[in-house]
Amino acid sequence: AAPSRRYVLCEVVSEDPRCRQCIEDRAVGLAVRDAIGKVHGDYGLACCSISFTVKYLNAYTGTVLLRCRKDSYRLLCSALPFVRQLESRNLRYPCFLNTLHVGGTIRTCQKFLIQYNRRQLLMLLQNCTNEEERQCIQKSLLSCSLTEEQSQSGDEEDDDGTE
Amino acid sequence: YSYCVFTFSVGYSAVALNHVIDFKEKKQEIVKPVSPSELFPSLPIVQGTSKRIKVLTRLTLVVSDPSHCNLLRSTSANIRLYDIIAVFPKTEKLFHIACTTLDVDLVCINVTEKLPFYFRRPPVNMAIDRGIYFELLYTPAIKDSTMRRYTISNAISLMQICKGKNIVISSAAERPLELRGPYDVANLGLLFGLSEGEAKAAVSTNCRATMLHGETRKSACGIVYTVKKPRKVEDEERTLPACKKAKTQA
Repeated sequence: AAPSRRYVLCEVVSEDPRCRQCIEDRAVGLAVRDAIGKVHGDYGLACCSISFTVKYLNAYTGTVLLRCRKDSYRLLCSALPFVRQLESRNLRYPCFLNTLHVGGTIRTCQKFLIQYNRRQLLMLLQNCTNEEERQCIQKSLLSCSLTEEQSQSGDEEDDDGTE
Repeated sequence: YSYCVFTFSVGYSAVALNHVIDFKEKKQEIVKPVSPSELFPSLPIVQGTSKRIKVLTRLTLVVSDPSHCNLLRSTSANIRLYDIIAVFPKTEKLFHIACTTLDVDLVCINVTEKLPFYFRRPPVNMAIDRGIYFELLYTPAIKDSTMRRYTISNAISLMQICKGKNIVISSAAERPLELRGPYDVANLGLLFGLSEGEAKAAVSTNCRATMLHGETRKSACGIVYTVKKPRKVEDEERTLPACKKAKTQA
């Protein structure tokens, strides 16, 4: 039987907008592995790193999709609150990871992410200050959908610069 | 106050602002709580619904001596203004008093040092019956490794006695980045020895129950209920002979 996997969808939340620069595979992977090592020790680190990768990243929205084995996803999820900073190219920014969804396949996480982003866009729409931004967001909202091609569906929103 | 706007963006629907009173310092007076409408002119909306976030005020009393509890029993007007009252007992006797007699909503469990006393089953069961919840904090565990060990060992020893009931997990965050989302806090509950269902309840239903407990404490003084007693025919027959007996005796 193929090894069962779990996909954990999280969001990087930070006060400093420059933290977005640090959102890359190596930095996030290292931070998560570090947290697992601190909380669960060598055993936890060994269990979780069997099939562990960072599958998808979106630096504009701060979305991260992690993959791990089904047997060790609890070790991973319980260690995620302990991530306190992201470090890359000798720059360190404090942040935390907010778990959004745990799914068995990439497709379920994708569906959840589309719904979540749509809700976020709606909230942004409410806080819009000028008409141009409003129209841009409305256009993006109307065009969110789950298409058959796997590659594009993560980046529905274009306007997160308005935060 | 950008701190509170942060909370809201992570998915919580109610937040309590805590004011701590420590009786070891002299001259502690309970002041009126700051009204949330003064701090936030407009409250953001909960994600996914159209209601506004609730901001509650909360008072925590750190008691290390039985005389400190008198403040709770007195009818001081200022205490009644807080939505939630929590007590942080420092000795075994005070823990017993807090669980059995004091009129509070939450009993805080120490997570920053080794417990000076062991939990015993009778006061914990009484507290559960009275609707009092035990509170665990998670921010010290995130900040420091030694605190993490104390938090987990104290939490697990509490779980062994109370079997995971009546637990509330909250943060004592002083900075926005020390907060965690509700899903993550429920996962932390798993580390503390709760089952999945109990951990989720510790972040959702138990907190709502605490809020309700606070509201009823503020408003209700007592309950009177009337029950219609069904009158049975046999009872009437039995009473008649007694009357006859009384007459004959008189």
